[in-house]
Amino acid sequence: MQAVKQTSPYIRKPISTKRMMIDVLIALIPVVAFSIYRFGWDAIIRILVSLVVMIGLEALAFVMMQKPSNSDNKWEKFKSRYQNYTINNITAPAVSAIIFAMLVPSKLPIYAVVAGAAFGILIAKMLFGGLGSNIFNVAAAGRIFIALALTNMFSGTYVGVDLVAGGTALTTLRSGLLFPQALNSYSISDLFFGNIPGAMGEISALAILIGLAYLLIRRSADYRVVVSSASTFIILMLLVGFKLYPDQAFEYMAYQLFAGGLLFGVAFMITDPVTSPVTRPGRWLYGLFVGALIVLIRLFGAYPEGVAFALLFANMFVPLIDYPKWATNKIKPAFIASYLVLLIVIGLVVFFGVGGAV
Amino acid sequence: MIAKTRYISDGKKALKELPIMHYLDAEYLYYPVTSARCPEGETCVRGGQFVKVGEVVGTRKGAFFEQPMHATCSGEVVGYEKHIDQSGKVVDCLIVKNDKKYELHESISERTDEEIDALTKEAFIEIVKEAGLVGLGGSAFPTYIKLDTKDPINVVIANGVECEPNLIADYGLMMNNPREVIKGLIYAMKASGAPKGVIAIKKKYIEIEERLKFVLQEFTEYDIKVVKVGNHYPQGWELDMIKRALGINIPQGELLSKYGVLNFNVSTLQSIYNAVKKRLPVLERLFTISGDGVHNKSFRARIGTNVKDLIELAGGYKEEEKPKVLILGGPMMGTNIQRDDIVMTHTSTSLIVLNENLDKEEPCIHCASCVYSCPVEIQPVQIMNAYKVRDKEALKTLEVNKCIECGLCSFVCPSKIHLTEYMRSGKRFAGK
Repeated sequence: MQAVKQTSPYIRKPISTKRMMIDVLIALIPVVAFSIYRFGWDAIIRILVSLVVMIGLEALAFVMMQKPSNSDNKWEKFKSRYQNYTINNITAPAVSAIIFAMLVPSKLPIYAVVAGAAFGILIAKMLFGGLGSNIFNVAAAGRIFIALALTNMFSGTYVGVDLVAGGTALTTLRSGLLFPQALNSYSISDLFFGNIPGAMGEISALAILIGLAYLLIRRSADYRVVVSSASTFIILMLLVGFKLYPDQAFEYMAYQLFAGGLLFGVAFMITDPVTSPVTRPGRWLYGLFVGALIVLIRLFGAYPEGVAFALLFANMFVPLIDYPKWATNKIKPAFIASYLVLLIVIGLVVFFGVGGAV
Repeated sequence: MIAKTRYISDGKKALKELPIMHYLDAEYLYYPVTSARCPEGETCVRGGQFVKVGEVVGTRKGAFFEQPMHATCSGEVVGYEKHIDQSGKVVDCLIVKNDKKYELHESISERTDEEIDALTKEAFIEIVKEAGLVGLGGSAFPTYIKLDTKDPINVVIANGVECEPNLIADYGLMMNNPREVIKGLIYAMKASGAPKGVIAIKKKYIEIEERLKFVLQEFTEYDIKVVKVGNHYPQGWELDMIKRALGINIPQGELLSKYGVLNFNVSTLQSIYNAVKKRLPVLERLFTISGDGVHNKSFRARIGTNVKDLIELAGGYKEEEKPKVLILGGPMMGTNIQRDDIVMTHTSTSLIVLNENLDKEEPCIHCASCVYSCPVEIQPVQIMNAYKVRDKEALKTLEVNKCIECGLCSFVCPSKIHLTEYMRSGKRFAGK
């Protein structure tokens, strides 16, 4: 009998990082299936390109980051670099790749897809140290990179744009038809079932909600960020609705909720644990940040859509939220009070800010 | 799983059904001269001398107390050998050759109830001290120091939670000898002057509750209650248990007696009963061998028995070719040992043998399961990061010293990171 040395505890829970990643992949199935149903080969090609680029570049970057053994045999030396390469080095970039592909429109040139995916995996993830070390959401960083660097490539890439509206559901609120008329082009039920133009994965609220439900049931996503960001968004948009369209406040809120990338971001991007704070109050606060920033960008920003921007911006605050001096896992009364005060302040800013009333 | 984990599958059901094998006739019995709390010790018997059950054969000396060692059989003192004790250290052991007659020492005689009623607080403490009683839950803290408190005590708690998986010693004790536990509790109440007694057990132990309540009908003159607390881990941690059973919130690092509470393990109470009523030290304990690397069996064995014999009696190891992890105590907080040459001491209740199962550590993905699960509400992942960069200030801010090393953070980590080890290193580093 050979006894080995270990320290307590000696047993582990039968869960793994791999399972959490695969859960996200499973949760993405309805969204991916819907995008393929809607856009056919366009969707399949972009998803595959994104997958190949992200997984391939992660493998390449991973190899370069490892120290090889001192073997003379070149093949042995090469193999030793892959010693720590695990299934997580495939599933994690696969998750990022599919989420990234779901964020782009179906007619976006392949070149732009490659550029965004490569930026996301190389700059936003591997340069920071790979899995678990990135401070920015990989897919959001890639999406923002191409949105800013290759802006022109996006024109005319959205399929199924309503001729009267002249843009996607959110752009039409800014430049085309204004709100109550926009409902004629894109009804709430169209928005919910995904019968609208938009990025491939963001259009069908139904498919996203199925995936989100799966994630929450499997506890592979934290409900706190989801509830916090979604409720902040809904409360603020209701406020705006009551201010601008008192008769149709709920329709306005629903329109904002289902149009654009909000639900997709809430379900699959905010829930990314790597870029979230690690405490209960921290996660509530993080959700509030993201929700409020999305509203502010949508209402006052230069871009019609703000989920990815809001996410990257909130990511920067994560180390601040997690700063040991004040980070605590206890939900204290002071925290609840400050959370509510923050919500009210942002609510007031939004309420008096829209429509230039003050 | 990004969620608070409180329940661990405990594997106790199968163990409870095992028959208990009585193995009280070991050929030789071994008595460690030193222990984890007592780095010094001396014996007062010579080779060839004949000792009797309950006779003092030596003294272990700690920093602030002395603890007598007692023979648990009668026979001849043969010499010394080195063996492993409960703490996993190699210690000198006095060997007594068992003559299997179990002659009681002259000092051993039962006290009558009248004699016990006449005992004063000081007398109780003296008895407990003479018998060398220590906390049998695993702490091995001398019991008389707990009893000898200046603070007024309102309630004595009997801790029968035993929240670690695979441990059934306390369960078996409450099931088979509830009367001794309750009498021990009454003596502890008399010794500390507490008007109330509480026995805390797990919610799911309905059979234990019935048994205790049935026996309590004989003791209606005392205010003793059975309180059911949670089934989760670490409910047996005294502060968590007291909070649940009594609703008293005691901050970490404070003495329980300041809040009028005394907490004893049920096994300790039984040993108090034996010391007061029968003038006997701890002679035997229930010892369970469990785990997937060995044939499982429960034993009733004499203190001083070599566990190697018990393993052989149980049927030996399974799959001998596989490397094994040997654990004394529970799988969450037990001590790892490298040899099976162990001597049973007062605090030994369980040996677990697991086939080695190495999980590769993955990078942390900040899922915060460890933060959510931590019973003392510190942030293991942040402490790990602070320790990695040797940031003493951050470690202190993160209150690493609050850690009770319950092992939940390592248990829940989906990336299989050994966080508890980082907590220990962090504590050591912050304390430097």
